[in-house]
Amino acid sequence: MEIVVCVKPVPEAESRLRANASGTAPDTDGVKFVLAGYDESAVEQALLLRQAVPGSKVHAVSLGPPSRTDEVLRAALALGSDSATAAESDAPPMADPIATARGLATAIAARGPCDLLLFGKQAGDDEEGLVGGATAEALGLPFVGFVVDLRFDAAASRLRFRRSVERGEESWESPLPLAVGLQQAWNDPRTATLPAILRSRKAPLARHAAGPGAAVAAASVAERFALPPPRQGAKMIAYRDPQQAASQLVRLLREEAKVFP
Amino acid sequence: MSDVVLVVGEADGDGLAEPTREAVTVARRLAGSQGTVLGFVAGRGASGRAAGFAAIGVGQVVVADDPRWDAAPPAALARPVAAAASNAGAFAVVVGGSSFGRDLVGGVAVALGASAANGVTEAERIPEGVRVRRPVFGGRATEERRLEGGRAVLSVRPHAFPAAEGPPTSLRPEPAPNAEPAPAQLAPARTAVAAASRGAGPGLADAAIVVSGGRGLRSPEGFRLVEELAEALGAAVGASRAVTDAGWRPTSMQVGQTGRTVSPQLYIAVGISGAIQHLVGMVSSRVIVAINSDPSAPIFRVADYGLAGDLFELVPALTAEVRRVRGS
Ligand SMILES: Cc1cc2nc3c(=O)[nH]c(=O)nc-3n(C[C@H](O)[C@H](O)[C@H](O)COP(=O)(O)OP(=O)(O)OC[C@H]3O[C@@H](n4cnc5c(N)ncnc54)[C@H](O)[C@@H]3O)c2cc1C
Ligand SMILES: Nc1ncnc2c1ncn2[C@@H]1O[C@H](COP(=O)(O)O)[C@@H](O)[C@H]1O
Repeated sequence: MEIVVCVKPVPEAESRLRANASGTAPDTDGVKFVLAGYDESAVEQALLLRQAVPGSKVHAVSLGPPSRTDEVLRAALALGSDSATAAESDAPPMADPIATARGLATAIAARGPCDLLLFGKQAGDDEEGLVGGATAEALGLPFVGFVVDLRFDAAASRLRFRRSVERGEESWESPLPLAVGLQQAWNDPRTATLPAILRSRKAPLARHAAGPGAAVAAASVAERFALPPPRQGAKMIAYRDPQQAASQLVRLLREEAKVFP
Repeated sequence: MSDVVLVVGEADGDGLAEPTREAVTVARRLAGSQGTVLGFVAGRGASGRAAGFAAIGVGQVVVADDPRWDAAPPAALARPVAAAASNAGAFAVVVGGSSFGRDLVGGVAVALGASAANGVTEAERIPEGVRVRRPVFGGRATEERRLEGGRAVLSVRPHAFPAAEGPPTSLRPEPAPNAEPAPAQLAPARTAVAAASRGAGPGLADAAIVVSGGRGLRSPEGFRLVEELAEALGAAVGASRAVTDAGWRPTSMQVGQTGRTVSPQLYIAVGISGAIQHLVGMVSSRVIVAINSDPSAPIFRVADYGLAGDLFELVPALTAEVRRVRGS
């Protein structure tokens, strides 16, 4: 099975968040871009499937300028991916998600066969969660999001998985090829070993020119990026005994915050 | 300039799901008083859902009455929705912010050659298209974005807008154009649905109230206190990673960086310290209440109301008070 995982470079969770000089996007000066959250879990899922289905290969693809993509692609290689493709684009972070999807689709189609295409549920920065469905549509692949417990049933030659949604857990099956948005997050995905990290530093990255981010007629333009004023801190409720604390809180939620039914 | 907005209807039983009614509110604002809001429904019983649209005043509904859509993934509807939107000359397609809507937006945008945004909390018509506002970075920031090019596809963040109400109107259904499903899109099939595992509570992601518990509850039995409060409030139950890592409750309940992101009207954190990895999953909640014995716990910095004290005394009292005022 040829498994392609899309990994997005996102600012390190610990990095300080502030707006750029024009106030239109997050400031990226000195910010380190890393493989994070759901995408790290998507790589873990790909590696688990490769283990379970002999002969499988895992390919990582990332779109953006090399200054951001190369770090995450090397991280994916160090974890055990077989190859890595940088879809080179001058798109800014939090670029138009549809332009990103079209760029990814071109790079994926040019790279070679793809039986299973994996995405994170949403990226930790723009949280669009729509690049997966858009890329799949551009490639003509069916797409299912919010997926957990993905397995391959070799006997039936089908993927079996669940979709964890508002009203419960759905069971699904599908032949290949398929594109999937993964909601699964492993608290403890594997970590790369030092030799693997050193090897990944020298590993070749395939490069594909994905063109400028504005290759789509209909695009979106970031106008403003703002941090909310910091919350003032809680109004601490003074109380004599637990009963009185409870009735005060309920009254405040009702009359002041107007959230209590 | 077109003034038609298409809303894709999600089923909830025989009627329309709440997120769809929120989407109708946004669509009405975008269309303006002179504009038209058009519904779209697919699947078996689509006519029932079409009636759900008419009940809230959306009479013109495009219907793809084909049972094959029922077992198909939401994204499979991308092309029929795009076809209906272009047929009607719609300048915007709006969907609710549930998993159904979020799975659909990207595909519709590509099929339609439109721009797109998920999880918007504001949407405004401008000459270039639609301007949206949305929380990003786990609610630590907001962005405003202009969706250009004449067509925009967006999903609405749950609970950010009121659900549309009537007055009802008469239903004028019309068949969906080009609604023949492509075989590839129908390949994934839903084989079973199990209702949310933890009893009657609403799903975490779309609940209006979430009560979450942390290590402060001390044991799996202690965690019952949180569930009892949630039950009294009709709320969903969440947990910190300390709780899920310890195996007190399943990981599906985890809120935070490696768990779920929630943004309910009311979030009550019980015995949770407020580590940054937990905060990113809940700071965009409208009102936050924290109960913690340590008055310097970081959770109090993001909370609106704080009770510093022993949760084993405070939570049962709160549960009793909620039951009392709700008359049960
Ligand atoms: C990569 C990474 C990802 C992570 N992802 C997540 C995530 O998604 N979600 C998440 O939650 N965490 C996550 N964490 C873990 C996070 O850093 C914290 O360790 C975790 O949130 C702590 O959980 P807690 O608040 O329940 O426990 P603690 O930090 O131990 O807090 C317990 C609190 O209970 C209070 N307490 C104790 N007894 C009482 C009492 N009788 N009455 C009232 N209060 C009492 C204490 O004062 C304390 O503040 C992640 C960490 C890492 C490194
Ligand atoms: N620039 C990118 N390069 C590679 N994959 C991406 C990129 N942007 C988004 N993705 C993928 O799409 C998923 C959803 O991202 P988003 O729509 O930005 O929330 C991510 O988890 C990635 O799997």
